[in-house]
Parts: sequence; structure tokens; C-alpha cells
Amino acid sequence: MSIWVDLAKVSTGVNVLLLLVLGYIWGRNWLKFRSKHTLGLLIFSVFLLAENALVLYYYLVDPTLSGWWHDQVSVVWRAQMIIHGLQSFGLAFLVWVSWD
Amino acid sequence: MEAVLWYVMTGTRGGENRVRILRAIDERPRNANRLAEELDLDYKTVRHHLDVLLENDIVENSGDEYGAVYLPTEQARDHWDTVEQIIEQVE
Repeated sequence: MSIWVDLAKVSTGVNVLLLLVLGYIWGRNWLKFRSKHTLGLLIFSVFLLAENALVLYYYLVDPTLSGWWHDQVSVVWRAQMIIHGLQSFGLAFLVWVSWD
Repeated sequence: MEAVLWYVMTGTRGGENRVRILRAIDERPRNANRLAEELDLDYKTVRHHLDVLLENDIVENSGDEYGAVYLPTEQARDHWDTVEQIIEQVE
């Protein structure tokens, strides 16, 4: 199971980095364009960043929760880990089209 | 089309320069070389932005292999009020 825990940690860390890149692009563009479309993208990236940062905190730092993943991963946690892994692919794609 | 215009022009890193290119060829169709000169951009950068705009059906070219002249597509013209709204905001 441990490999899955590590993968989940890495993908959550990657998500945080990708969301920082997206937030940078959309934040800069929002300052430039001040359009509701860009603001929507910016808000999306900020909230998803908050979510991923919180999960990363749970995985790595939180004294109670960080231990759990290694010895008792429930079905619910496993589903969440898979979602964070898939998010990395989605966000990488979004960075690819937005860095353009 | 409107969503495409908003994303390509305001959702991406190179959006601002693509707005400048679109505004320039709206004034007068030009080739990549003239655009690079006019907008003080690298020729390769201009080519890249033109390819993105072509791919999204926002601009088309005259088809002459070398020195092709670029102009907005019919589709972009149909949504020109959106384009103008975007151009206004970048000024």
C-alpha cells in the first residue's frame, strides 16, 4: 500500500505546483484584462489550490492524520488518492494549453 | 466561438500578444514579418501566435506559401464585438 501513499503525496505536491503556475498566468491576465472570464479561472485555481494544500498538510504534517495513510487506508481515502492522481493529469493538460 | 476567443486571448500566457496581433491584422492584413516588425516581437513568437490563432479558427491566411498575409476569419468577424471588448481591456 505504501507505494500508493507515496504516489498520492507526490501527485498532491505536483497539483500544488501546477495550480501555482495556473494562478500566476490567470492572476497576471486578470490584472491585465479585468474580465469576468479570467477572474473565474483565477478563483477556480485559488480554491483548488487551497484544497490541495490542505490535503498536502494532512498527508505530510498533521500529527494525527499523516500517520493514518500508512497503516489504515480505507476505501474512502483510496478513492480520494486516485482523484488527486487524476487531477495531476488534468491540471498538467491545463497548464500545457495555458502556458502557450 | 466566444468562449474560444476569451480563452485564447485572456486565459493563456501569450494572450496579450495575440490580442495585439489580431488588432493589427484587423487594421490591415499583414504577413508574419511585418507583424513582427510592427509589434516589436520575435519572428518565431509571431509565427507561434499565428499558428495558435489559425488552429482556433480566429485568423486565416492568403495561402501564398511564403509571405502569406493573415486576416481575421469570417467567424471572428461574426463575433467582433467580443474581440473589441477584449481589445479595449488590454489597452
